[in-house]
Amino acid sequence: MRILQYILRRLFYMIPVLFGVTILVFVISHAIPGDPAKMIAGPKASRQAIENIRKSHGLDQPLPIQYIRFVTGLVKGDLGVSIRNHRPVTHDLKDFLPATLELTLASIVICLGVGIPLGIISAVHRNRLPDHFTRVFSVFGVSMPVFWLGLMLLLLLFYRNLGWLPGSGRLDIDFSPPVHVTGLYLIDSLLDGQFDTFFNAAAHILLPAFCLSYVYLAIVTRIVRSSMIEVLGQDFIITARANGIAETAIVLKHAFKNSLIPTVTITGLSFGELLGGAILTETIFGWPGMGKYVVDSVNYLDFPAIMGFTLIVALVYVSINLLVDVLYAFLNPRIQY
Amino acid sequence: MKRWIGIVQMVFFLSLIGAPWVGAAGPDTLVVGVSSDIHTLDSGVSSDNYDWRQIYPCYDRLVKYKVINGKGSTEVEPQAAESWSVSDDGTVWTFKIRKGMAFDDGTALDATAVKFSFERTLKIGKGPADNIGAIKAMRIVDPYTLEVTLKNAYGPFLQTLATDGANIVNPNIMKHEKGGDLAQAWLAEHTDGSGPFKLVEWTRGQRAVLEAKSNYWGGAPKVKKVVVRFMAESADRRMALERGDIDIAENILIDQIPALEKNPDVAVQRYPSQLVEYVYINNQKSPLDNPKVRQALCYAVDYQGIIDYVLQGNGVQMRGPVPKGMWGHKSDLFQHTLDAAKAKSLLKEAGFGSGLNLTLIYSERRSSWEQIATILQSNFAQIGVTLKLQLMANPTLRDRVDKGDFELCLGAWSPDFADPFMFMNFWFDSKLWGLPGNRSFYKNDEVDALIRKAASIADQGQRTQLYQKAQEIIMDDAPYIFLYQVQTVVPMRKNVHGYVYNPMLESMYNFESISKE
Amino acid sequence: MKPKTNLHPKWRELKLTGRLLRSNPTAMAGLIILVAMGLMALCAGWLAPYDPIKLSLGERLQPPGAVHWFGTDEMGRDILSRVMFGARISLRIGFVVICIAGGLGSVIGAVAGYYGGRVDNIIMRVMDVILSFPSLVLAMALAAAMGPSLNNAIMAVAFVMIPKFARLVRGEALSVKEMPFIAAARVSGARNRWIIAHHILPNCLNSVIVLGTLTLGDTILIAASLSFIGLGAQPPTPEWGAMISVGRKFLLDQWWYATFPGLFILTTVIGFNILGDALRDILDPRIRR
Repeated sequence: MRILQYILRRLFYMIPVLFGVTILVFVISHAIPGDPAKMIAGPKASRQAIENIRKSHGLDQPLPIQYIRFVTGLVKGDLGVSIRNHRPVTHDLKDFLPATLELTLASIVICLGVGIPLGIISAVHRNRLPDHFTRVFSVFGVSMPVFWLGLMLLLLLFYRNLGWLPGSGRLDIDFSPPVHVTGLYLIDSLLDGQFDTFFNAAAHILLPAFCLSYVYLAIVTRIVRSSMIEVLGQDFIITARANGIAETAIVLKHAFKNSLIPTVTITGLSFGELLGGAILTETIFGWPGMGKYVVDSVNYLDFPAIMGFTLIVALVYVSINLLVDVLYAFLNPRIQY
Repeated sequence: MKRWIGIVQMVFFLSLIGAPWVGAAGPDTLVVGVSSDIHTLDSGVSSDNYDWRQIYPCYDRLVKYKVINGKGSTEVEPQAAESWSVSDDGTVWTFKIRKGMAFDDGTALDATAVKFSFERTLKIGKGPADNIGAIKAMRIVDPYTLEVTLKNAYGPFLQTLATDGANIVNPNIMKHEKGGDLAQAWLAEHTDGSGPFKLVEWTRGQRAVLEAKSNYWGGAPKVKKVVVRFMAESADRRMALERGDIDIAENILIDQIPALEKNPDVAVQRYPSQLVEYVYINNQKSPLDNPKVRQALCYAVDYQGIIDYVLQGNGVQMRGPVPKGMWGHKSDLFQHTLDAAKAKSLLKEAGFGSGLNLTLIYSERRSSWEQIATILQSNFAQIGVTLKLQLMANPTLRDRVDKGDFELCLGAWSPDFADPFMFMNFWFDSKLWGLPGNRSFYKNDEVDALIRKAASIADQGQRTQLYQKAQEIIMDDAPYIFLYQVQTVVPMRKNVHGYVYNPMLESMYNFESISKE
Repeated sequence: MKPKTNLHPKWRELKLTGRLLRSNPTAMAGLIILVAMGLMALCAGWLAPYDPIKLSLGERLQPPGAVHWFGTDEMGRDILSRVMFGARISLRIGFVVICIAGGLGSVIGAVAGYYGGRVDNIIMRVMDVILSFPSLVLAMALAAAMGPSLNNAIMAVAFVMIPKFARLVRGEALSVKEMPFIAAARVSGARNRWIIAHHILPNCLNSVIVLGTLTLGDTILIAASLSFIGLGAQPPTPEWGAMISVGRKFLLDQWWYATFPGLFILTTVIGFNILGDALRDILDPRIRR
């Protein structure tokens, strides 16, 4: 019950924060100097054409009125009409968000799938070769400029010189996207039983997902390593050893379980940052997701699109943080609220 | 630990699967790799060549550009209009519409459809309306005859009917109208025309697929399908072209062309385009309101250096505002060339012998601009002008240009229709200050009178004379720095045939006549 | 790190820190990297073989060789010289951002923690708003709103970093203010402002330094990312991220262009990260990333 109360309180706190977020989002996007109507009216537009466009998108209204419209729209789940794409921003999000989600989820899978084993190996073989290797690997990870890594290693090495993996985009040119169910090609293609599409999509996502995940992969490795080291030194592990329980069982069952909490925390936090990092990764790999969408929107000063994107990211970020805290409360009953 | 090994195995497994993929679509499918996604398919709304690339082949227009000996020309010939006549004062045009053309739902393309399309574009009133804005009224004489009355005689009228804004749209789209939007929401994502293709798929950010109509009245296109693949990076398009994944690669960075030319499977074609790059000088801002200062700047630029290094030779210096290949171009017109000594003495005469500080603004819209800006900076330094460079987002730049809040600014321009009007009247008419065209805020009453007169008459010989006279005055006033005329470089696979370049249709393709071996 | 002479224990602590650092090989490696980078930045004027800005179009895109060790760029400028001058910019960005964010963040955090109640609530909700965005997204948005320039990028990154420091210092302040000497100071009539400046803030210094060092790396990365997407340093400034951004266009045929600036970013950030890790272990085992 206490937990339920806690969740309610946290949700309540989110209201003023989200309100602040809408103000910040609105102010920032409208502070960008320029006029979207002058962008989409075309290179040689007449005054009249520019004026008509301003009118049809409500850009001729004073800013406070535009803000009120924006917020009232939000309440109804309406993010406005994209000035550049001439259709509701929500439709755009439906087309572009799944690609980013898929990339982010794939990155999380890599983070955990590679980070946790590496961390465990590192902790078990503390101060020996595998540990040294892992630590160097993770120092490089947290220090790596993502965009540079993407360009260098992956494009140059895999795509250009070795040709192991396919190029940009989510699918090869002659593949049609699978029927839209979730928008995640890896899942939709399986649902539809198109295995060649699945493998194609998997090969396409591998490089960008790895590139995006590297930083957080390194962080997860570090966290798992340090908490495992802490746990492995505790009394109950020593007792377990004395009782003759196999070492693998000790490591996986007892020690690892206890390092779950920090791992969950860091995964949650990473998810939001991964969404942000996706902007750079998507630009480099031509991944048709939100990152590219928002960069193009900024280029056209498409206010509704920019605001829609930042809001969604903020919403996801805040919700995930909440989720992490709640999970944390479940996993760690010692904490009082 | 087993799980970890399993993951590593899976990763390698996947990467091996990836290896044998080489796309190579069959001879029935043409694949074009382009740099930018499309935004709308509504020809009444779009002012973007990248949109037109998909829209144009889905529709017919009253007239089309002639192809002469396999080369695109700037003359028009009948398409949906079988023939036409014009009244003596040049204000009333009568078009006979070709019979037997139809939209996909069987509706016949007739005078009503043409009238509907033009009226819709004009009513929406966005960018494309400007091109056909000369129209005052339309009257259906009989189902296949349309009479168009102009506000006043307008030289380039026939040319404007070949632009994307003059597409003939199926009037039945109105059944998709929502809230009086003239079906804009629907047409933004669909096509409904009588052209040789129709759009069957548009996966945003990824690709658009056009399907050929085998029953097209002008004959079935040679390919069955055209896939337009959006690939933002030039390097990416280049690799895809070399691997044979795509057949035509658009907008390849000029520095990557030499490497492409070495590939035996790729043919790199160069076409003289009418795309020009130039520098707006704000004529209203001191000290740039002094023609001597402007002339000095024009003399300080190393034109040939820019063409050699930035364009790698793929361009020619402009000679006055009207590019080569457009009628009205004057091949013996005076044009500034690099002469630092002269530039210095002009500056001295203007009272700036001790130097001058100026700011150049530019955006990243064209990849060449940063290099040009840097070169201009070092060129101007030679004559004692310190040039500050200011890169800004494109919307900001356009806003500043529109408001006249700049000193120097880099720009590019390409004509929508084949008439010197596109240059002379847009660039120099003092009624069009700012974004609409006169971006140097130039004002010269004599020039105004000459170009306005030239726009209102139909006789090409007389118009040429007027335009050329205006050009002489303009070169003396030096309102812009005219840099160069770009060569469009189109790399494609050797087995692609039938591509015809037309300088009026930049980034657009004659998909209906292209074939693949 | 400028300890006041009257704080003797601080001096002793500093000496101890120095000894511990020297005995830690990784930390020393980090320090050496940073000192080398710092020297390179300071002496770029003497060390760099060429002018980093001057064009020499005849030598454009030369591969690395005896004349140009790191090759040249599309304007014929020497990449080695540009990278050396770039160190100046990146280090400057890092330090300025950390000074602004660390300073402002600490004060904000100390005020919130010390006063508590409604002040705390309002300040921390505002911080929550800032923290509702991934840092890169917010920094991008701000930089775009203010217009692309190096100084604006610095401001944007600093703004994004403030809550990190504010949260940290607030936490510390909450525990420090319960200590007996604060009560003593209050009883002896010290004003709140004086207490914050002389007791609360100095007591948080260690953690702020640790966080600052650890964040420096991130800061440089974010600033480079901003420049990479054209929202940071303006040409012809030889900023590393901006160089990679242009070099990317030449990646296929001129690999050296984007490679070297990236290596320098990587090395510098590694330097800050391993030094920061070591400092954290020595100074403040409580902070965890």
